[in-house]
Amino acid sequence: MLRFAEEIMLLLLDDQDGSFLPIPEWSMQCALGGAVLMDLALADRIDTDLESLILVDKTPTDDPLLDPTLERIAASGDVQGARYWVENTAAYADDIREAALARLVQNGILNREEDRFLWVFRSRRYPTVDGAAEREVKLRIMGVLLSDEIPDPRDIVIICLCDACGIFNDLLSARELERARARIDQVRKLDLIGQAVAKSVWEIQASLAMAAHPVY
Amino acid sequence: MDIGESKEGAVFVLEPKGRLDSANARSFEERVLAALEKGENALLIDFGKLDYISSAGLRVLLMGAKRLQQSGGAIALCALSSSIHEVFEISGFLTIFNVHGDRAAALAAMG
Repeated sequence: MLRFAEEIMLLLLDDQDGSFLPIPEWSMQCALGGAVLMDLALADRIDTDLESLILVDKTPTDDPLLDPTLERIAASGDVQGARYWVENTAAYADDIREAALARLVQNGILNREEDRFLWVFRSRRYPTVDGAAEREVKLRIMGVLLSDEIPDPRDIVIICLCDACGIFNDLLSARELERARARIDQVRKLDLIGQAVAKSVWEIQASLAMAAHPVY
Repeated sequence: MDIGESKEGAVFVLEPKGRLDSANARSFEERVLAALEKGENALLIDFGKLDYISSAGLRVLLMGAKRLQQSGGAIALCALSSSIHEVFEISGFLTIFNVHGDRAAALAAMG
């Protein structure tokens, strides 16, 4: 089973050329931070309520995508809220992204190709090998959005993360998105870490908007 | 975790007591699944003696509700304390579950 960080990276890849969809860096960082925390929650290492994120079990998961964050939470003496840990983990998003991509390549889900722009700037592209894993994630998401079935916890998480990143703008047509909006809003509330991710993204967006259009 | 269990007509009632969090969510989940495997398809969870619920507890409720929905059954909750009601409100769980003020109202609605 893929980790949420791997699923998000798959969804952020452009199907056509294996480049990344253009989304705000902060959104991706918060989504990757949230992805790791959500996997730790489903692995029974942490738990949350309206105020706090609680360490339940500091036993390593033996997954290098998750254990550095678990170690930081275990080493922290203070109990903090989910949002604090989303933003703390978002600071390590580059490491999480690289680890997730490396694992997807290692497991034969993605290829890695090096490009050079103007013979100077290097960039990497990650074309999918056969698209099966990505299709499976998209089908799960669409299955939840287009029905009124009770979603399972993994589906809730991926919908929270997609919404925080703005991936639905690429995944759905404008008309589909309009029809699915109420359902997305319903589902993304169902996970408290997902709510913390959304709040962090909105707050930075609001402060960027204020900086661009200051009110005097 | 102390979990009361009773049958009221066709409705199977579970009554968790104290806290429902990561420490006991698995044992509560086992009780819910055991009820479903016995063929119970009308499940009422009475929160009257529950003081606290965390995300781990909410996930168990969601899984139980999903299983019941898939088998054509029904689930309802009752007697939420104000703090648990707030958790349900903020987490959007009030849009998923039928919530009643007390057990009598829930049984009347489920019957």
